Amino acid sequence: MEIFLALGSVMTDPALMGWVLAAAIVGMIAGAIPGLTASAAIAMLLPLTFYMEPISALAFLYVIGKSGRYGGSISAILFNTPGTAASAATQIDGYPLARRGMASKAMKVATISSIIGDFTGDILLIVGVGAIAAIALSLGPPELFAIYFAAFVVIGSVIGKSITRGLASAALGVLVNMIGLDPISAKDRFTFGIFDLTNGISLVPLMIGIFVLGEVFSQIEQRHAPVEIIEDATGAEGKARNRLSWAEYRLCIPHVIRSSFIGAFIGVLPGLGSSIAAFVAYGEGKRRAKNPEEWGHGALEGVAAPEAANNAVSGPSMAPLLTLGIPGSTIGAILMGVFLIHGIQIGPTLFITSRELIFSLFACGLIGIAMYGVIGYFGAAWVGRFITKIPVKVLYPIIFLTAFIAAFASRGNLFDVLVMVIAGFGGWLMKKFDFNPAAFVISFVLAGGAEETFRQSLLLSHNGLLIFVTRPVALVFLIIGIAALVFRARTLSQQAKEASLKDA
Amino acid sequence: MVNASPLVRVNQTTIVGAVLTVFGIAALVACFQIDIDRDGGWGARIFPLAGAGALAVLGLVELAKGLREGRSTPLPAFDGWAVAGLLVLALVYSWAIGLVGYLVSTAIVAPLALVLFGIRDWRGLLAAAVLSPLIYHLIFFVGLGVFPPYGRWFDLLDVIQGY
Repeated sequence: MEIFLALGSVMTDPALMGWVLAAAIVGMIAGAIPGLTASAAIAMLLPLTFYMEPISALAFLYVIGKSGRYGGSISAILFNTPGTAASAATQIDGYPLARRGMASKAMKVATISSIIGDFTGDILLIVGVGAIAAIALSLGPPELFAIYFAAFVVIGSVIGKSITRGLASAALGVLVNMIGLDPISAKDRFTFGIFDLTNGISLVPLMIGIFVLGEVFSQIEQRHAPVEIIEDATGAEGKARNRLSWAEYRLCIPHVIRSSFIGAFIGVLPGLGSSIAAFVAYGEGKRRAKNPEEWGHGALEGVAAPEAANNAVSGPSMAPLLTLGIPGSTIGAILMGVFLIHGIQIGPTLFITSRELIFSLFACGLIGIAMYGVIGYFGAAWVGRFITKIPVKVLYPIIFLTAFIAAFASRGNLFDVLVMVIAGFGGWLMKKFDFNPAAFVISFVLAGGAEETFRQSLLLSHNGLLIFVTRPVALVFLIIGIAALVFRARTLSQQAKEASLKDA
Repeated sequence: MVNASPLVRVNQTTIVGAVLTVFGIAALVACFQIDIDRDGGWGARIFPLAGAGALAVLGLVELAKGLREGRSTPLPAFDGWAVAGLLVLALVYSWAIGLVGYLVSTAIVAPLALVLFGIRDWRGLLAAAVLSPLIYHLIFFVGLGVFPPYGRWFDLLDVIQGY
């Protein structure tokens, strides 16, 4: 019921609707630009939102995240370059369709599937988040620490090619967060006598460095790579080929429904994110398909499944953030910063203190989906052509300059600019050497809460670390973390064995 | 049995493992510089120690993996000059803002960034030198009301404002 009231309230606020519309357009363009992710766009635009109303700021960034995930499919299909990691699975069938002159049809399937997936994820979030928050209210510091532990291990080990490098990224995130004064005893940690470090490292310049400047470093290496658009077949025959009929889309529906639930489930788990959801949904779709031989060669179902899954992640990935204060994704980590900047304490009590704001945010999300859906259905090809007109040689120097002023504007501090530069180079190095920048940033954000709950648990305990084993919920989450690590290690080892057998 | 010469064993994994181990050990040493609590407890040290210890152990695991691999995995290819040029430009820019203010430093850095990305048209570079500081100044310092970073040596804003 509250969501309908919130929808009514948002729709009668023209300024807020304007921000949601702007976010739908900006997110789509950012997601469609190869190399530029929704996270990068959000990190860069974050300082602008400091001067906005809390709901406008949150809605603007939240909808950019949604629209950006969808925007990635535009470049995956039209340029054969996924705009975001989440749309790499879409490229497998999307690009062959474009090569056959059916780019518009592939885009229509991607758009409809994205909308269905995103709506499914958001509706599940709206229905389920209250219950999760109620459960979260009953959790104490040991249980919360165990959840943090599981999140660290899952985030570090499940994404990326290497478990050790993923976990090392998470450990680095924890260490960087420790810089500054200890919040309890006010002791200096890793400050090395440098005054600027006593305030710690701020999230905003770190994010801008990792996701924005890091990408500029990557793009300067690819500055000579051309971006070419695949156009639709022309003439009456081309138009007919790109008309999407109900009979064609009906075959996609079972895949879209299944993938939406896969995406929503993966979305709730901290750190896994859209790209894993998309590939799991693609694999599951191909396994169950009646035409598996067509997948990989331009099957419409092969576009529908990953697109539904990667967008279904968006809503549920907010659940751990809103209920536990644990960001499940990099976008969640940035939104956490926005909540804190506007003085809103996130966690289970959020649904008591700021219920109206949260439901307004959900309403903005739903409206944002409808907006990017309409714009994408009728204008995706135009967006694609617009992007080919933006020369990379001009775009990335502009992004380079914007990163500096955005990092400065967050606190009006030149030290933050230096932090951003170092984080940018570090982020580029991490990508080069198969480390995991997302795990680094999410762990950086989680570390403060994890340390607080860990030390609170020890204060509550008479038996030291045993408190985490004697509390059943805490024990379950510790086991989940360890099980995820073991499972991932076994999967990677199996893959390595299979690869060496193939080589032999 | 894998016959690997010492040179072959120095592969990407070994190097990454060694760097992580050194970094982890350095962080462990730094952890012991953190003062203990008044009651003698290690409260402020526990988490940094856990992070540093994890890093050192993961580094050793990576190192062992690299030594076991017995084959050479090359370092990733990268465009060294372009990346180094951009890094130097970024560091100089962040330093120059504090010395000569935002307007002058941006007027110098904007065309240099374009040159690094391959733009050679002098009219475009000149336009970037004039328009970039102007547009960013209007958006952030005038529009959003962010207090601009004034240069310690010289600042064009002082001249414009008549100080």
